[in-house]
Amino acid sequence: MQRYKLPFAAALLAATALTGTTAAAQTVLRLDEVAVGELDPGKATDYADSILMFNVYDTLVLPVQGGPGYAPHLAESWEADGTDFVFKLRDGVTFQSGNPLTAEDVVFSLNRMKALGQGLSFIFTNVESAEAVDEHTVRFNLNEAYSPFIASLVRLPIVDKKLVMENLGDGEGEMKDWGQAYLSAQSAGTGAYKVVSHNPQEETVMEKNGEYFLDVADAAPDQVRLRYGLEPATVRTLIAQGEHDISSQWLPPEVLKALADDGAQLLTETGGGAFYIKMNTQKPPLDDVNCRLALARAYDYGAGITMVAITGDVAQGSPSTGAVPVGMFGANPAGETLSRDLEAAKQHLAECKYDPADFTLEISWIGEVPLEERYALLMQANFSELGIQSEIRKVPWALFTEQVTKPENTPNISQVFVNAVTGDPDTLLYPMYHSSAAGTWQSPEYLNDEQVDAALTKGRTVTEPDGRDAAYAELNNRLMEIAPTVFAYDRQSIFAASNRVKAPALSDPGEAFGLDGMGFSFRLMEMTGE
Amino acid sequence: MSPVVRLVMKRLGVSLIVLVGVSMLIFTIARVIPGDPARIALGPNATAEQVAALRERLHLDEALPVQYGHFIADLAQGDLGVSLYTNRPVTRDIAQFLPATLELIFFAGTMMILIGLPLGVLSARYRDTWVDGTIRVVSLLGVSAPSFVWAVILMLLFAFFLPIFPIAGRLADSFTVPAVTGFLLVDTLLAGNVRAFGNAAWHIVLPAFALALSGIGQAARLTRANMIDTYNKPFIEMARSYGFPERRIANRYAFRPSMIPSLTIIGLDFAAMLGNAFLVEAVFAWPGLSRYGVAVILRKDLNAIVGTVLVISAMFLIVNIIVDLLIAFINPRIRLSQRTS
Repeated sequence: MQRYKLPFAAALLAATALTGTTAAAQTVLRLDEVAVGELDPGKATDYADSILMFNVYDTLVLPVQGGPGYAPHLAESWEADGTDFVFKLRDGVTFQSGNPLTAEDVVFSLNRMKALGQGLSFIFTNVESAEAVDEHTVRFNLNEAYSPFIASLVRLPIVDKKLVMENLGDGEGEMKDWGQAYLSAQSAGTGAYKVVSHNPQEETVMEKNGEYFLDVADAAPDQVRLRYGLEPATVRTLIAQGEHDISSQWLPPEVLKALADDGAQLLTETGGGAFYIKMNTQKPPLDDVNCRLALARAYDYGAGITMVAITGDVAQGSPSTGAVPVGMFGANPAGETLSRDLEAAKQHLAECKYDPADFTLEISWIGEVPLEERYALLMQANFSELGIQSEIRKVPWALFTEQVTKPENTPNISQVFVNAVTGDPDTLLYPMYHSSAAGTWQSPEYLNDEQVDAALTKGRTVTEPDGRDAAYAELNNRLMEIAPTVFAYDRQSIFAASNRVKAPALSDPGEAFGLDGMGFSFRLMEMTGE
Repeated sequence: MSPVVRLVMKRLGVSLIVLVGVSMLIFTIARVIPGDPARIALGPNATAEQVAALRERLHLDEALPVQYGHFIADLAQGDLGVSLYTNRPVTRDIAQFLPATLELIFFAGTMMILIGLPLGVLSARYRDTWVDGTIRVVSLLGVSAPSFVWAVILMLLFAFFLPIFPIAGRLADSFTVPAVTGFLLVDTLLAGNVRAFGNAAWHIVLPAFALALSGIGQAARLTRANMIDTYNKPFIEMARSYGFPERRIANRYAFRPSMIPSLTIIGLDFAAMLGNAFLVEAVFAWPGLSRYGVAVILRKDLNAIVGTVLVISAMFLIVNIIVDLLIAFINPRIRLSQRTS
């Protein structure tokens, strides 16, 4: 045995020397997201895409932190006149390439997004045209009055036209591929962080842009590594070992709880979305409003929240107050939460034209979201107390999106998480409840109600905040009356994080943006050095 | 024509037919499973118009044979289309992700040979002793638990409780190595960065061992059984009667004929690891082709599914040809049969 000791010690020493890592002088923030990150801002839709977009690119306006409304960002100011919006751009802003920001870049960014027709381009269908009035003035012309337009600009990242035109790939026409190949791997924005490398299956590495037009704290991370597709067990181990800083929101509640028990801080983001239990209003027995109201009253809202609780005071959802999430125009006060009322449910059921003995409800849950199975079981238990039989069916997402295109194929009850992609209630509620939008994954209710349609139209045409608030309050009341949906809870994203990072926009409601992904503006974060 | 060349030509011909069959099969299967790829690709917020436009661009509104014609025409130009998952050409994705998987399975395959075969030889040589017993228990454990279970156990043991090995990825953040071949162990050496090479090698140990454990167990058990069978052959008895040392009998006379079935299994395992590496790649955040393959299947990314399956099938066939050649080299009866035919 003695003769092996020396070679073994030498091998161990060599291995240690070879594998040792060089101490990095710069601060590095490491976080993860489930999906592949789409770097092209014209195609951004998912959470990971949003994180990339909000850091690499800038927009004309930003949501006001901790409050309603929008503040100038790349724009210095704007004026609205009916369907015309004129923006004055900031002076002295340069892209990461060194090119100056001009009105032409804004026009190009809009035209590119509309030409690609991907990502969230549909929110600009009301924009007829954009023109550069002069170097620093841009005018948007809308084809009809659309008051959420300013809100939708948080989804129009401004791209460096000159750089993209120099890097057009193969394609037809003058604009060839509109720079898709180039922008799928490189950045062309003004953002506070620039892309160093991008591997869509592994990670995107970004570094601080020293030429950013706003002041960025020295403590903001010098480098950010956004990793993709890490397993929950891996994330848990990495955070415990000090090799990871912020988890994705998609960790199972049990893992988040375990990390919190180990001392991790829990960061939160509320992005104007909710968990909806949707009822098919075109198929018996839920074509009867009293049957729907019976289910809405019988559902146990409190138990639903408990199922997503992480700790005693942090949960992946907050109690719902109605059809409009708290904080949006028309929402009920946070204290007026919905609760179970079995007696009221029985009364409604007695007024329903269908006898519970004659039907079996089909409750579906999306196969890729195991959490929904728990809610299906909760509903089954709740509804059985009314004497209603139900069967639970797991449906893959791909199949679900096909099923809902026809009311006869759409399950009696579906479960979906929906978010306002711009933070405005219009992008949340119009695609769900307007009769013209029926038959998508967001609208398996197939609702067709004149009052709802009128309130939704009013909400997007009235420009005054008070008028919009009144329109959405009216909508809220009407939706509660006809109950196309069980409004289970307002969604809240929870992230486990090490104590090496401070993220005010994800921990202080007064600093929050109220828009999914924007809380991950790295320029506002600080590395503590712990 | 030499028998070996004839063997290779025959195998290549069969492989080509298999690849065409696989392409037709996977092309059809990918298109008939439920779910609209355009809808999945564009995300939940896309409008019906956006989905229809993408369906038209992908030729999904045309008949299946017409779609296959488009695919073959593009393939002839080396174009596998664009992945809807990464929004990049599939060829680029495969070129980026395949080396990571190949490096992992090459390392795992080497472990299977260097650990599995000697364990089998030892087990047979010391049959019915504690050495044999221990090796048999370890082999059984390796075979009976799937590789992802080992991945999690090894991660917990050697990365969490005893933080000896890294948990995830292929290289520490502090190293930057220019990608030349995509094989980090090669690229780090090409860059002359010995520390990065050591770090990359350290990163690959746990995932490769987790992936190899089942194969190690299988190779050890098979080698042991074959060795024991060979030990009962008359020529071994003759060698013993000549008084040859046991080590020489084991290594020179018993091992070579016993290696043929083991080699076949190792070859098949080696190729199968291309597909099976998925869960190990997922646990260790290894950015390889297997993980990419499963991700694109879940998203019904048609071009990427077909491209990935074709590459994995081609690798499977190549490994089979190599194994056939090796066996022909080891076993004179096969060489001779080719000559006769």
